[in-house]
Amino acid sequence: MNIFRTILQGMLKKPADAANAGQSDMAYEPENVPGVKPTLVHTLYEFQDCMDLTHRAYPEIGVDVLYFGHLVDNHQLAQDVLNPILHIRADEVHMLLRQTQFWPAADSKELIEGILSGQVAIFNGADTYLVNVSGPKERQVSTSESETVITGPHDAFNEQAGACLSLIRKRVKSSHLKVIKLSVGEVTKTDVYILYIQDIANMLYVREAIRRITNIEIDAVHDSNMLIQYIDDNPMSIFPQFLTSERPDAIASKLAAGRVVGIVDGSPSVFSAPTSFFEFFSSSDDYYQRWMLGTATRLLRFLAFGITITFTALYVSVTTYHYEMIPENLLLTIAESRSKVPFPPVYEALLMETTIELLREAGARLPTKIGQTIGIVGGIVIGQAAVQAGLTSNILIIAVASSAIASFVIPSYVMSASIRLIRFGLILLAGLWGNFGLAIALAAIVIHMSGLTSLGSSYLTPVAPFKLEDWRDIFIRAPFGLLVKRPTQAAPPNKVKNKMRR
Amino acid sequence: MKTEEKLSPFHSVILIHMIQTGVALFSLPRVLAVQFGTNGWLAVFLFGAIVAIHIWLMSYVYRHSGGRSIFDILEQSIPKFVLSPVYIGLICVWAMLCCLVSKEYILIFKMVAFPTTNPMIFELVVNLLTLWLLGMGVYNIAKAATVFFWFVIWMVFLLTFFYGEFRWARLTPFVFQGGELKMKELYSIYAAFFGYELVLLLFPYANPQTKLMRAAMAGNGLTVAVYLYTCLIAFGFFSLQQLKEMLFPVLDLLAYIKLPFIERIENLLYGFFLFTILITAVMYVWSAKEVSRRMFPRIKGGVLGFIILTLAYLVSYIPDVLSEVLDWLQIFSVIEFWIAFGLPALVGLVLLVQRRRGQPSNG
Amino acid sequence: MGNRFAVCLSLLTMAALSGCGDQRILEKVGFTQTTSYDLLPDGRLKIAVAIPKADPEAELSRQLLTTTALSSKEARINLSRQTNLILVSGQMRNTLYGLSLAKSGLWNHIDTLMRDPSISPQVKVTVVNGDAESLLKKNYEQHPRTGKYIDRLLEKEAQEQAVPKVTLYEFARNYFDDGVDPVAPIVKDDGDSVIVDGIALFRDDKYAGRIEPGDSIIFALLERDFKKGEISIELAGEEGKKEIVMFSSLISSRKVEVGHGDAGTRTVNINVDVKGSILEYIGRLKLSDDANRHELERKISEHLSSRGNQLVGMMQEKGTDSLGIGMYVRNSMSYAAWKKLNWREEFPDVQVKCNIHVKIKDYGKFR
Repeated sequence: MNIFRTILQGMLKKPADAANAGQSDMAYEPENVPGVKPTLVHTLYEFQDCMDLTHRAYPEIGVDVLYFGHLVDNHQLAQDVLNPILHIRADEVHMLLRQTQFWPAADSKELIEGILSGQVAIFNGADTYLVNVSGPKERQVSTSESETVITGPHDAFNEQAGACLSLIRKRVKSSHLKVIKLSVGEVTKTDVYILYIQDIANMLYVREAIRRITNIEIDAVHDSNMLIQYIDDNPMSIFPQFLTSERPDAIASKLAAGRVVGIVDGSPSVFSAPTSFFEFFSSSDDYYQRWMLGTATRLLRFLAFGITITFTALYVSVTTYHYEMIPENLLLTIAESRSKVPFPPVYEALLMETTIELLREAGARLPTKIGQTIGIVGGIVIGQAAVQAGLTSNILIIAVASSAIASFVIPSYVMSASIRLIRFGLILLAGLWGNFGLAIALAAIVIHMSGLTSLGSSYLTPVAPFKLEDWRDIFIRAPFGLLVKRPTQAAPPNKVKNKMRR
Repeated sequence: MKTEEKLSPFHSVILIHMIQTGVALFSLPRVLAVQFGTNGWLAVFLFGAIVAIHIWLMSYVYRHSGGRSIFDILEQSIPKFVLSPVYIGLICVWAMLCCLVSKEYILIFKMVAFPTTNPMIFELVVNLLTLWLLGMGVYNIAKAATVFFWFVIWMVFLLTFFYGEFRWARLTPFVFQGGELKMKELYSIYAAFFGYELVLLLFPYANPQTKLMRAAMAGNGLTVAVYLYTCLIAFGFFSLQQLKEMLFPVLDLLAYIKLPFIERIENLLYGFFLFTILITAVMYVWSAKEVSRRMFPRIKGGVLGFIILTLAYLVSYIPDVLSEVLDWLQIFSVIEFWIAFGLPALVGLVLLVQRRRGQPSNG
Repeated sequence: MGNRFAVCLSLLTMAALSGCGDQRILEKVGFTQTTSYDLLPDGRLKIAVAIPKADPEAELSRQLLTTTALSSKEARINLSRQTNLILVSGQMRNTLYGLSLAKSGLWNHIDTLMRDPSISPQVKVTVVNGDAESLLKKNYEQHPRTGKYIDRLLEKEAQEQAVPKVTLYEFARNYFDDGVDPVAPIVKDDGDSVIVDGIALFRDDKYAGRIEPGDSIIFALLERDFKKGEISIELAGEEGKKEIVMFSSLISSRKVEVGHGDAGTRTVNINVDVKGSILEYIGRLKLSDDANRHELERKISEHLSSRGNQLVGMMQEKGTDSLGIGMYVRNSMSYAAWKKLNWREEFPDVQVKCNIHVKIKDYGKFR
């Protein structure tokens, strides 16, 4: 095992090393010179060959302005920097630069990072100033593609961390909402914000999350779903150990429940921790509907989980080993539809499951309009034709299709994908050992999950450790009057969330 | 962050219950019918009571152990070379029980659905799962036990299916008539309750909030309730003589259930009993591992577990048909019976001596 | 470390073992739906199995295989030689026993069936008045294929209490119980259909007699509590006229009382309360009149009680305690006394009295 791991690590490491080596030959390492007073020459040297850098010189007043045109807000730039500079004489420069928007930069590294993050650098003799006029292009706040709801707010996070923060701040108007900024990635220097509500979140989790993020040593992080794989408890597990969501209302509710929330700049999904397995089955919809509907929907999702995990596997197991289990009325139907199929049920099932996965993947990659065509071609044409050609039985098509549909009922796409993958394991084992294989597979899943933790708290939380009061908000959605306490998994110092009795 | 968590009361209850429940349940109504005759299901009370008294006695040991492991207590007063044979004996018995329990389960499954498959393959897979679970430590085993518990306990509701054919008249008003008591078989009935004695090894993993002994009582109570209910249904559903002839009456009970969308669910539900078997097996091998760590403190726990399981697996090649496995189980349950009574008695005795001498209890 | 190791090993074993021998893939399997057993005069068994066919292209909807052999398992080997399918019995629904075999005892066969873990305890036990194989062989054109037809027929009749539901479980249970004898429904060939022909009474496992189809509902009243069922009664009216009552939607509950006389005589009272509605009545009484209705109730009660007594008398004559009276006698005695008693010999001498009490719930929507 270890040998395998070292080889793998070696393979991963090499290209990165090579890239680093190449870079250091060419570039002047700014990291090596902390505390150096910034100069125009040095800065220009740093940005050598960056043709997107704008350099404006005003020789008559001795001012040089450096900025990236595409990172700044042009209107603000003109108002705050360029107009004042154009309308003054050389002796007025000092007065001007004492205005508060000009912020003296003492360190060269700071200056360069400032320019890179959309600030304007102003050089005047030996003094250097930064003005924050950053206004990068950002996507409009729009609805979420992957987590739609019918009732409830429709806005979703976009890729800009600032926008995400503003969406959250708008929902949680409390000075207790604390934001900690961290940076991840040697090359990309991605901003990661950790949010929590003071006195509700357990500081143990906050510190643990911060510790794990600061321990990341990697060149680049592009998405929060990627980041959480660097900080989760069991990187080998098939299950996501942190919940990610694009919905500000969902994230605000996680914050209020005492969980820690993380935003990665450049990613529209925001993660929350600690997470339990069952949390992936609730959607914010449940709270916006009447409680009975919310409860029914939740139970439906757990049923869907059962169906998606076992349906096809059960078909395989029953048709391969346990023909006794089929009721008499179904027996002939199934046997008849199987009678033309040339291969054993396992292969048949794997074939159809793979086809469905192909259709899903193709549909996801293509534009919506063509995606629909794929659905029709795949679903109707292939399904129908495969049955008629005798490649598969129509009962299996029903089993496969219903378990695929059931898997999409699970609100979290990441979790639903994990579960769909597990299904293949179950089918294989069912084909190999029938119901015994199924039992083995279920046992293995449970054993694996019992070992999982999320930020050190049990992944199976309200079930094991057993917290009956949490069941009201996990397996069902009890009326709000009964949801008195915050979830125990987050171990909040302040447990009661609802003081109203009715 | 919380790896050193202690067992919670609920988990301890479930853990004890899950160790106790096993394949013995499948033949229990028959053994009771043969041994006790009419209304043999009442004997579950007797055995449950004996277990309860035993747990009550063990709670003496627990109270005076001060949360130390029993091995610490023993080693404080008894030299190690005297203890070594005891330890080796314990390891052997517990490791063998682990493998025999799973092998019995597998052989029954083989009889029902896989008549020609080599059972040792199944045994290997079950042992691998056991090993995997073993590596996670007792806290995670308890967590897994809780999840497995929910997978299994709902089956009790299936017994409502038999209310239609259940007749009180079939139970007869006679109590314990027409049975032939055999000492040997009594052990095997008692074996259906085994597992509670492992609570002795859980001392260091519990804290006062666990209320370990009360949890063991409750776990045993749950087991007794489940057994009692199942046996009562079996005695009222089958006639006495018929019950005596059936090898695995509970399997026949399950086979009788017919749902509109699925029939013969014993094929599926018997698979679910794997979960209880896994917990029983893993806790026995865990106990063996705990003891062997005393013998070989230098070797890592995981390696020890692996060695024990491998050896036990190899030994379990020898009994290869169901009746042989049952014979072996018989022998081992007699030994286990005396361990269950002897070990706490020994520890209690040592504790008594230590208290007399006024030795500090935090040795 | 431990878990990755475990996963690796299990993957290895899986790869090594794919394709092991206990597969019973649905389309390669011939599931016997019904098996018939007959005893030939030379002591050999004639066994036939009906296998429904799943092949949509086949002309016939079932295969019927026949063989003669000394034992049923030997027969299975012979049958297996005749077909391309793997013969399995896990989907068996019904077993038919010819009268010849029923007379010589069924237990050996039932024992074989109970022993096989693939056979459900819910397989029906049915006696055929005549030759079981020829009944199974015959195709009844107006009806579903014969095996299924008989199975469904019995199921429906059992729901309406016209025959008791007898499966392997019930047969074995009553066979083993010392206070009750097993029964089984009888069917026979009736030209274009199969017809239920009463209830077979067994003494231990041997056929000992038969209850006429008309009396089987009386048997049901005396034997168990039930809901749903109907009975048609002919009452002797005035001036030799017959009165006909159709009594349906029955809800019946029975109680058995055992009394012990001084001289060791035993009396058994079977008290049955039946409620039902009258949907057909041809006679002189006015149903809407309370007094008249009560009179009718009384007449029906008397009539049913006397038929019940006759039925019990018949069973006592044959020496079959199919009602399970022994169970109640047993429960009223001490264990030692019961063990001393030879119930089989005692049963014919017990005084059994049936008190069937009828109550009319309603009489339709017409006065």
